Amino acid sequence: MSVLELENIKKSFGSKVVLQDITLKVDEGEVVSIIGPSGSGKSTLLRCATFLEHIDNGAITYTGQKVVAKSAQGAVYPSKKEIQRACANFGLVFQNFNLFPHFSVLKNIADAPIVIQKRNKVEVYKEVRELLQKVGIGDKENSYPCELSGGQQQRVAIARALALHPKMLYFDEPTSALDPEITAEILRVMKELAAEKMTMVIVTHEIDFAKAVSDRVVFMDGGMVVEEGTPEEVISNPKNERTKTFLTKLSV
Amino acid sequence: MNQVKIIKRKKYFAAGILCILVFVLALFASSMFPGKTSSAKQEFIVGFDAEFPPYGYMDENGEYTGFDLDLAAEVCKRRDWTLVKRPVIWDSKDSELETGAISCIWNGFTMNGRESQYTWSTPYVDNSQVVITRKDSGIMKLSDLSGKVLAVQADSSALAALEGYDATDENKALAASLKDLQQVENYNSAFMNLESGMVDAIAMDIGVAAYQLSAKDDTFLMLDEKLSSEEYGIGFKLGNTELRDEVQLTLLEMLEDGTFDNIVKKWGLEDSACLSKEDTTYIDGSQVPVPGSSKKNNESASNADSSTVQASGGAKVKKLGITEIIKQLSSGITATISVFVLTLLFAMPLGLVIAAVRMSRFKILEWIAKIYISIMRGTPLMLQLLVVFFAPYYVFRISMPYSYRFYATIIGFSLNYAAYFAEIYRSGIQGIPQGQREAAQIMGYSKGQTFFRIIFPQMVKRVLPPVTNEIITLVKDTSLAFVLSYTEMFTLAKQIAAGQTSLFPLFVAGVFYYVFNFIVAFVMEGIEKRLDYYR
Repeated sequence: MSVLELENIKKSFGSKVVLQDITLKVDEGEVVSIIGPSGSGKSTLLRCATFLEHIDNGAITYTGQKVVAKSAQGAVYPSKKEIQRACANFGLVFQNFNLFPHFSVLKNIADAPIVIQKRNKVEVYKEVRELLQKVGIGDKENSYPCELSGGQQQRVAIARALALHPKMLYFDEPTSALDPEITAEILRVMKELAAEKMTMVIVTHEIDFAKAVSDRVVFMDGGMVVEEGTPEEVISNPKNERTKTFLTKLSV
Repeated sequence: MNQVKIIKRKKYFAAGILCILVFVLALFASSMFPGKTSSAKQEFIVGFDAEFPPYGYMDENGEYTGFDLDLAAEVCKRRDWTLVKRPVIWDSKDSELETGAISCIWNGFTMNGRESQYTWSTPYVDNSQVVITRKDSGIMKLSDLSGKVLAVQADSSALAALEGYDATDENKALAASLKDLQQVENYNSAFMNLESGMVDAIAMDIGVAAYQLSAKDDTFLMLDEKLSSEEYGIGFKLGNTELRDEVQLTLLEMLEDGTFDNIVKKWGLEDSACLSKEDTTYIDGSQVPVPGSSKKNNESASNADSSTVQASGGAKVKKLGITEIIKQLSSGITATISVFVLTLLFAMPLGLVIAAVRMSRFKILEWIAKIYISIMRGTPLMLQLLVVFFAPYYVFRISMPYSYRFYATIIGFSLNYAAYFAEIYRSGIQGIPQGQREAAQIMGYSKGQTFFRIIFPQMVKRVLPPVTNEIITLVKDTSLAFVLSYTEMFTLAKQIAAGQTSLFPLFVAGVFYYVFNFIVAFVMEGIEKRLDYYR
């Protein structure tokens, strides 16, 4: 069963077309990496899929339930409540973490499960501590984000997304704000998640990581999917000229 | 451990806020129900300028006193009225009379030139406009004033005598020969101007001049030549002849049994008092009632003996020590703090509402907020206070009770400061990275939850420094309440300064503002430190 279905997504900012006609399906347990040059529209695609941006036309479906429908007049959005409900399907880890600076690590992660999902406080705290152990910062629950390194903050952000029990996770260039050696730590955490069959869509520049962890790689350029396939197909043996050029540039 | 500590701290903080709230409510309640003097007696409200000794001013005990107020007190005693002494600011005396906030203007009130604007009693003081100079100035007669700077009180009789439509040709010529005719707010500042050489002479009422000279006789000199002669009367609202006749009749009774003369002697005004039963017609041509036609006559005559009036040979300035000045200022301090605290209490949340409207997606709402903020920031607060105070009467013809003065002050201040706070909040909110809202949205926070849990707490930290600035400005701005004749501390200080003929009370007030602001800054710094746990 597919967790996410994007059909014919079209998006422009003013006269600039950012997404031309994107269709993407992600099955449960699948790890999909989206790669491509800057300005290719991969981050915008992620923002559209997570309802941070309105699409001009196209359909968005989560776990078989259509949230945004396409029509001749453009995309049809449901009520805010419906959107809010659909948001429960996924989590998003930002490039710059976006932790709440005034909340401690514990509260950053536990606040939404307790306040939004109205779950039992004791159970949530217990789970949050387990999550913190899992991402390797079990001793930081009382710290504030400003006291943590970038890598530690990103781990908190991942734990925060997981605590809401989403069906899938989006990662928007999760390591581009981090030092290389810290990047490795974050990628290790993500690999663990992949091993646990967490459904993930990852926008990344880490080609080696994408190759190692992905079930499928999508190469985007100019607001279109140029090439799509297994890591072996797209990264090791690219057919399209643009893909080749992009990968050569990266390897230099 | 850490967690427990934070929770504990939060509890202390909440307790602190609660204490402040209770204190504020207590203040508010006490100002709403002043002493509960629920007497059914008629109130006689005398409007006067509390900076006009010896007719009406604040004495060394912090009481409003003076020749006119003594007369009024005696009238009320005989009429069995309750006397209310209400200091008003001179510029708005007509509005106060018009709205019924005062029953009459009884305060060395010159009739000449105002004959048809009020319903007048007969004249009771013959007043002259005289010129005061420094002894060392070499100005000995009026013609010496040519090319000099002369000070007068704004809207005063001296000004009218020099430039009014019925000014004599000599006076008009004199005014034309001056280098400058400077209008000052009160006599105290006029004397300070004179003493420091900023002006060369002051033209003023003889009674007030004599009082000032009693304190500074060695420095100043009164010219023998007089600018003009004029008469004081009691001014009632045009058409209020009934009240005028009652007061007039009582005054004539007091004249008959000698009480009037006793009061005259007490204030040393023998040379100028002129109340006479020979005046049988008012200035408007109607007949003065004759004493004896009143059935209260006998009763009041017997009261005369028990009168507490003692002849003492003129009012003298009694110098106060600093502790006495502070003691007298203290009632004003409460008023200042009430204005300050209540304004913050209303303006800070209101600012949040205005900021929300200002950032609304609806263009119309956004524009309404923009216009509101533009007006509030673009016009003087003093004017806004006057509008809030007088609008109910002049726009809706509703007479507001005296206590409205206080509410108008709070409303005016709150509306004004809310506009400033709104813009500060807006900058604070807009400075929070968009990512915070996006993260919250994806995690399922509603708009309200996002605002109150994520945005608002971060905004508070960001806006603290500009808010502190605004609060400190408010402490000093409270003195603007004087335009509504709301007696806060600075008004009181000015009144004491007038009675003392010295600047010193104003400095004491300045020290108070400084200490107040020092505490405010200290508290705000404490709050900033408390929020320092994150960046």
